[in-house]
Amino acid sequence: MGNSVRLGPWVFATLAAFAFQTTPALAQGLTPGEYKIGFITENTGPIAQAGQSFWAGAQLAVEDIKSSKYIGASSIVLEPKESGSDAARSIQAMNQFIADRSVIATACCILSPVAGSLKPVVLAAKVPLVIYGATAAGLPQPPWIYSMTILPGPKDTATALLVSDAIKPKTAAYILAADNDAFKGRMAPTQKALEAKGIATAGVVSVLTKDTDFTAAATQAMGLKPDVVLVYATQQAAAGAISALRDRGFTKTIIGNDVLGPEAIYKKMGATVVGIPFPVGFSDTIGVSAQGKSFVNAYKAKFNVSPDSYSAQGYQMVWFVAQGLKSISGTPTRESLSAALEKLEKFDHNVYGGEFMKDGQAQTTGTIVVNWSADGKLVPWTAPK
Amino acid sequence: MDLFFEQLINGVALGSLYALFGLGFGIVFATLGILNAAQGTYASWAAIVALAAADQYKLPFIPALLTGVVAAGVIALLVDQVAFQPLRRRGKDMLGALITSIACWIILDSLAGTATGHNSLSFPRGTYPSTMYHLGTIPLPVMQIITIAAMVAVTVGLHVLIRHSRFGAAMRAVGWDQTAASLGGVNPRYVVIITAFIAGSTSGLAGVLGGITTHNVSFMLGEGLMLKGFAAVVVGGYDDVRGTALAGVALGVLEVMTSQYLSSGLRDGITYALLLGFLLLRPRGLFGSLTYSRA
Amino acid sequence: MNAMQGILDFWAAYRSTLAFAIVNSFLALSTYAVLSAGILSFATVTYAAFGGFLGARLVLATGFDPMLTLPAAALAGAVLSYLVALIFLRLESHWMALASLALILITRVIVINIPVVTGGVNGMSVPLPVSLELLAVLIALAALVFWRLSVSWYGIAAQSVREDTAVASSLGIAPRKIQTIAFVISGAVGGLGGMLLAGALQFISPDTYFVNIAFTMIAGVVLGGSYHWTGVIIGAAVFTALPVIAQAIIPEFQDVANGIVLLLIMIFLPRGLVDPLSIRLRKNFQIPVARAIEDPSISKPGVVK
Repeated sequence: MGNSVRLGPWVFATLAAFAFQTTPALAQGLTPGEYKIGFITENTGPIAQAGQSFWAGAQLAVEDIKSSKYIGASSIVLEPKESGSDAARSIQAMNQFIADRSVIATACCILSPVAGSLKPVVLAAKVPLVIYGATAAGLPQPPWIYSMTILPGPKDTATALLVSDAIKPKTAAYILAADNDAFKGRMAPTQKALEAKGIATAGVVSVLTKDTDFTAAATQAMGLKPDVVLVYATQQAAAGAISALRDRGFTKTIIGNDVLGPEAIYKKMGATVVGIPFPVGFSDTIGVSAQGKSFVNAYKAKFNVSPDSYSAQGYQMVWFVAQGLKSISGTPTRESLSAALEKLEKFDHNVYGGEFMKDGQAQTTGTIVVNWSADGKLVPWTAPK
Repeated sequence: MDLFFEQLINGVALGSLYALFGLGFGIVFATLGILNAAQGTYASWAAIVALAAADQYKLPFIPALLTGVVAAGVIALLVDQVAFQPLRRRGKDMLGALITSIACWIILDSLAGTATGHNSLSFPRGTYPSTMYHLGTIPLPVMQIITIAAMVAVTVGLHVLIRHSRFGAAMRAVGWDQTAASLGGVNPRYVVIITAFIAGSTSGLAGVLGGITTHNVSFMLGEGLMLKGFAAVVVGGYDDVRGTALAGVALGVLEVMTSQYLSSGLRDGITYALLLGFLLLRPRGLFGSLTYSRA
Repeated sequence: MNAMQGILDFWAAYRSTLAFAIVNSFLALSTYAVLSAGILSFATVTYAAFGGFLGARLVLATGFDPMLTLPAAALAGAVLSYLVALIFLRLESHWMALASLALILITRVIVINIPVVTGGVNGMSVPLPVSLELLAVLIALAALVFWRLSVSWYGIAAQSVREDTAVASSLGIAPRKIQTIAFVISGAVGGLGGMLLAGALQFISPDTYFVNIAFTMIAGVVLGGSYHWTGVIIGAAVFTALPVIAQAIIPEFQDVANGIVLLLIMIFLPRGLVDPLSIRLRKNFQIPVARAIEDPSISKPGVVK
C-alpha cells in the first residue's frame, strides 16, 4: 500500500517531535497541538439566552488561553453541536463526540435532567465531561464528571435571609415552577430557613416553566396578602411572574434568583426589574478581581454586552480543561486528562477572585446580593427606605 | 369574594385571547376545510412585526397593532397560495394540506426564532396603554379591557359578515363545495384569498394583544395559543363564531379557576379532557350545526 | 489506513441516525396501518408512549432482558389500540383525526402526573442498549409482515374500505371489522416502535411522545407515499436523514430547509415518493405520469373517481 513512500513523512515527524521535545518553552511536556472540546450548545430553545452566554464565555476563554500562551504553543478548539436543551439531541451529540477520536473532553448542559441523562453515557464511554450550567447538587462524579456551576441554592438562602433581616416581613408567598425539580430543591431550604425566623409561609403558587400568561398566578399570590414574594422559576417564567406582579400593582419587595442576572433581562424587563434583589455568582462591577476585570473588558469588546454569571461559568470551564492539559506530559488522552482534572484543587486563573474545586464541584466563597439599577447596572442591594 | 371576581376577570381576558385565536383557526377549518398547523405562527409573527413597528419605528399603539394584524393577514394569504392552492387543484384532501401546513409551521417558527434571536422579547412600556382602572378594590389594567372589547367586536363583526352578508354566504358556499359555489356565480379564488386574510388577521390580533399582556413575543406565543384555540373551536362548534368565542372565554375562565382553587397541575388536563369529551360525545360542539358529508 | 479509519469514524458517528431512521419507520408503519384502511389517526403516538414507558419501566424494575420485554410493549400497544378503536371508530373521519390529536395531548398530561411509572416531568433514563442488528432484524420482520398483509385478503379488503366505505360494505366487507384489525396492527407496531425509540434515545420524557413526533411520522408517511408500505419506510428514512444532512450543510437554517423540502415534495409529488400508481403508469405508458393521472380516458386501476 505504498509504505515506502510514507516512510519519509514519518521520519520527518519523528525528528520534528524530538526537536520540539528539547525546546525549553515546552518544559512542562504537553505535546503541542490543537485539543478539541466537544461542546453541546443550547443556543436555541427555551433557555437560549443563558445558553448563548455560556457559549460566548467559552469562546473568549479559547482566545485568552491562546494569546496568553497558557499551554504554550497548544490551543484548544471548541466543536459545538446544538441540542436545543433537548435530552435526546444531547445524547446523540455526545455519542458523536465520543466517536470522534480527536475530542478529549466534552462540555454540556444547563438543565439538570439532561445532565443526568448524559452521565451514564459518559461513564460508559470514559470521556471527561464538564458541566457548565446545571444547577442540581450531586452531579459531579470524578474522575469523569465535573461541574463548573456555582451552585445557586445556598446563595438563594443567604439572599433571602439578608433581605428579610432588612425589611422584616411577617408573611412570605412563594412562586414556584412546579415542574422543575432543581427549583423545588432550592426553595425548600430557603422556606425552612425563613420559617425558622418566624416568617410564615402565606402560600406557594405553582406555575409551569412553559407558561406564558402569569396574570392568574400573580393575582393568586397577591390574594395571599404577603409582605414579600420569592420567585423560584426559570428565566421566562420568573420574568413573566415578576412583570405580572408589578403590572397588577404589587409594590412590596420581590426576591428574585440568579436567572435575572443577564443583561438581556434588563433590556427585556426595563423598569420592572429595577430594585429586585437576587444573588449573582459573578458580578462585572462589584468586588471584581484583576483577572475578573480583564475578563469583563475583553468580553465587552468582543460581544458588546457585559458578561454575566453564565458567561463566567462557560469561561472557567475552558480554563479548567486547559489547567488539566497543562499538567500532562506528552500527548493527552481522555484517561490522562481525567486523572489530571481529578487532581486539580485551586484554579490558576479565575474571574471570581478565588475559586476552588471540591469533589468535582467548583465553588466560590461569599454571596453577592445585587439588583438592577435604573440605568441598567448591577449594584449592591440596599434596603428601600 | 374579591379574589373570585378578580380571577374571573383574568379568566375572561385570557379566554378572549383564546377566543380570538380560535376564530381565525375556525374560519380556516370551516371555510377552507384545512386543519392549519401554521395558524399559531401567524399570531407569533403579528406580535413580532407589531413590536418592530412600535420599538424601532416608534409607531403609536393603534398603528403598531394594525401593522401586526395586517402582516399576519398577508402571511396567511401567502401560506394559502403557496401551500394550499396547488393542492386544491388536485381535489379535496385534508391530508395533503395538513402536511404542507406543517411544513409552513416549521419554516415560519424557525424564522420567528431567528427574528427574535431565540429570545423572548417584550413590548417596552409606553408603547401600549398601561392605565390601571379599579373596579372597587379589583385592579383592572386597561389592556384587559381592550382585549375583551376586541374579542367582542371581532366576534360580532365576523358573525354579521358570515351570516348576514353576501360575502359571508359566498364564504359558506365555498366551504361547502367550491365547484358548486362557482356554478352559483361565486369566484372561489377571490373568496378563498379574502377568507385566508381575515383568518390570519384575526389570529394575528390575538397574537399582538397576547404578546403585549404576557410580555412574551417569541415563536412560543403562537404555540401556546394554538392548542387552546383548537380546543375552543372544537368545544364551541367550528362553524359558529359565537360558539367559538364563548368556548374560548369559558376555557380561559376554567383554566384560571382550576389553578386558583384546585391545582395548576390539573389545569391543562381538564382542558384536554373536556376537548376529548366533546369530540367523543358531541363533535359538533356546543353551537355547531349538524353536517352531512358524502359517503 | 486513514480512509478506513475515516469511514469507521463516520459510521460510528452516524449509526445513530440509521437507528433513528429504523425506529421512525416503525412509527410511520403504525400510522400507515390505519391510513391504509382509510383512517387518519395520530394515536400512534399514544401507543408509542404506552409501549415506551411501560417497556422501559418493566426492564428497569425487573432487570429482564430487553428482548423479552419488546413483545410486551407490542402487546400493550395492541390492547390500548383495541380500546381506542372501540371508542373512536364511531366518529366521522374529520373528528377522528382531531380526537386522536386530543388523545396525544391528554397522554402527555397523564404521563406528567404518574411519576412513579414515567419519571414525571423530568423523564427517565433508559439505559437499555438497542443494537443496530436487532433493529435491522425487526424492521425486516415488520416489512415481511406488511408485505404479506398487503397481498392477503385483509390487504385487499382494507384497500377497498379506504377507497369507498359504502361500496366496500356492499361487497360484503365489514368496514368496522377491517378498521378494528387495522387499529390493532397499528397499536402493536406503535407500541413496539415506542419502546425501540426509548432504547435509541436512552432518555424519554413527556415531550418525547408528543406533537412533534406525531407530525414527523405523518410527514414521513405522506412523503414516502401513503399507498404502499415500502414508501412509508423510505419516507421515514428520508425525513430522519434530512435534518442531519441540513445540520451538516447549513446549520443556521436547517429547520427552514426541512420545511421547504417537505413543502416542495408535497406540491410536486403529492402521492409521495413511492407511488404504485405512477410506477405502474410509467411502465405501461410512454407519456408523462402527471398527464396520465389527469387524463380520464386512461384507465387507472385502484382509483375511484
